Amino acid sequence: MTTPATERVWHRLSPRMLLVHPVHEVLRQIPLLVGAVVLGSATGNPMWSVAALAITVGFGILRWFTTSFRIERDEVQLRTGVLQRKVISVPRNRIRSVQTDARLLHQLLGLTVLRVSTGQEAKHDTVFALDAVRAGEVPRLRSILLADSLTRADDTGEERTVPTGRVLARWSPSWLRYSPLSFTGLAMIVAALGVVYQAGLGAVLQHSRLAESGRDAAEKFGIVSSVAVAVAVVVALSVVLSVLRSLVTYGNLVLRRDADVLHLDHGLLRKREHTFDMRRLRGGTLRQPLLVRLLGGARLDAVMTGVAGGGEASLLLPPCPAGTAETVLAGLIEDADAVTGPVRGHGPAATRRRWTRALAVPAVTAIALVVSTFSVTIPLWAWIVLAVLALCSALLAADRARALGHRVDERWLVARAGSLELRRDCIATAGVIGWTVRQTFFQRRAGVATLVAATAAGVKHYRVIDVPADLAWSIAATASPWVAESQWARASQSVT
Amino acid sequence: MDLVDPANRPSRKAPLVWAIGAAIPWLILAAVQLVWFVIDRRLTSLHIAAAAATAVGIVVFVVVVPLWRYRVHRWEIGPKAVYTRSGWLIQERRIAPISRVQTVDTYRGPVDRLFGLANVTVTTASSAGAVRIVALDSDVADRVVARLTDIAAIGAEDAT
Repeated sequence: MTTPATERVWHRLSPRMLLVHPVHEVLRQIPLLVGAVVLGSATGNPMWSVAALAITVGFGILRWFTTSFRIERDEVQLRTGVLQRKVISVPRNRIRSVQTDARLLHQLLGLTVLRVSTGQEAKHDTVFALDAVRAGEVPRLRSILLADSLTRADDTGEERTVPTGRVLARWSPSWLRYSPLSFTGLAMIVAALGVVYQAGLGAVLQHSRLAESGRDAAEKFGIVSSVAVAVAVVVALSVVLSVLRSLVTYGNLVLRRDADVLHLDHGLLRKREHTFDMRRLRGGTLRQPLLVRLLGGARLDAVMTGVAGGGEASLLLPPCPAGTAETVLAGLIEDADAVTGPVRGHGPAATRRRWTRALAVPAVTAIALVVSTFSVTIPLWAWIVLAVLALCSALLAADRARALGHRVDERWLVARAGSLELRRDCIATAGVIGWTVRQTFFQRRAGVATLVAATAAGVKHYRVIDVPADLAWSIAATASPWVAESQWARASQSVT
Repeated sequence: MDLVDPANRPSRKAPLVWAIGAAIPWLILAAVQLVWFVIDRRLTSLHIAAAAATAVGIVVFVVVVPLWRYRVHRWEIGPKAVYTRSGWLIQERRIAPISRVQTVDTYRGPVDRLFGLANVTVTTASSAGAVRIVALDSDVADRVVARLTDIAAIGAEDAT
């Protein structure tokens, strides 16, 4: 490396951050500033508010002067902190992926946040993040940072290179049909209400004209219809919010493969780019929440070392047509059978266990109701609710029993389970670094076991639930030759 | 295909050590109940119920569980893999290849030290794959650690 970035000099972030830092600082210190304004108006001295604002802005500007980074031959360092100085060092050969992220303000100024992630889970204040550098510098920095772990020949340092490689998937408006069925909209409403009440605006709202007219309407039309209207409004709002969020977050999503690197770009307002190292791919997970599954959709997560298993970090495709997700995964792991091939069911014992578990709650409720008929009269609606509950439980049990299955060969372990969230985990057997066969008391009696494959990737443990006990070690031995070759392996007497 | 159980049991002192470890919190609870009884003698039935619950807890966790665990626990180190069996109500058999071992730790708690026992934890790159060999005699534990670090050649590769 002869680029200036590898010299032992400390670099500053982009000077444009002198504009961004104060704004972010003000946004972050809003409670303090509100307090200062209140204090100012209470004492009749507006200087309080001005002073607080000035200090906050000054603090933001100081942040730029106190933040610097350098890239050395074997590690990268970041110095931050105005009052508390902090140095974060990351060995370069530990860098697993580089992600970029640009909020609206960053985008307007042509800036990008660059995040370096290693295998370890970094806590909030130990994340190595360059906030922010000029967008044009990103390809150069990325290739320098990843030079040790990725041998890439492009990106020599001028302007951003034209995206190359094969496009695996591209967002289309039809994907929006899966988003109304998620709970993100509802979660956003709840979060917004929480913020409103936390800010002490709840009392203000209670006496506002809106609340008054609401109360009047409730008195006029009766409780039931008002509640129905309120529920309808919340549902409609949550659907709209879910669709909007999905559009803003995933609209323009492109998944691109460039030799050994997988690029995922998405976000309309907040642009994000994830770069995955394909050599660390250990499989993938297809997830189908019940409502998404009913519409024939699925989401795809990568199982990778150095990338957290759940949530945003591992997401490759948001809910999209199941065919698309399956094709992409089959292309990535180069084995269509592991993705779409039939799975082997787990037999009658496992099915029985699904039924007993699902029907336990309705059964106990029924017994309680029958017993209490001797002392009190049970209203009719209680029995109707019980019947509906029992029916739902039965459907759940049937679906879960049907979903349960596995598939194993020398290269891939596939485990399928679940109903409310059906998931199909495809795990590379080469990445499995330990097997556990776990049996609870009831599993021993039923002659089944849960097989857990430990890996360094994704959520770290992948379970094959309730396989017949005599099959558990056979699966492990098929997947990992070192189990079959171990001194403990014996051909079992029972026929499998 | 099946795997036969690993050959070695934990130390003979293991049930005793487990019993002592379990007895400490239960005896504290019993002492608290005694103090409560001395201070407040009303509600006799409640006192009897609490005492009975404590007695059952002591019998189960101080007598039954340690013996049960001793019957279940096994470990063995082969040329290529570590294999253990553990648990009581929920039983686990776990195998991990030694080539993927990252660290080998020993842990001695206060009670363990009193009786000369040690626990060995073999970690791999997966947080779900750590193999624990508990309640070994100290000299056995030392030999286990020496043997494992010998075979593993720790640090030679990434082990993920």
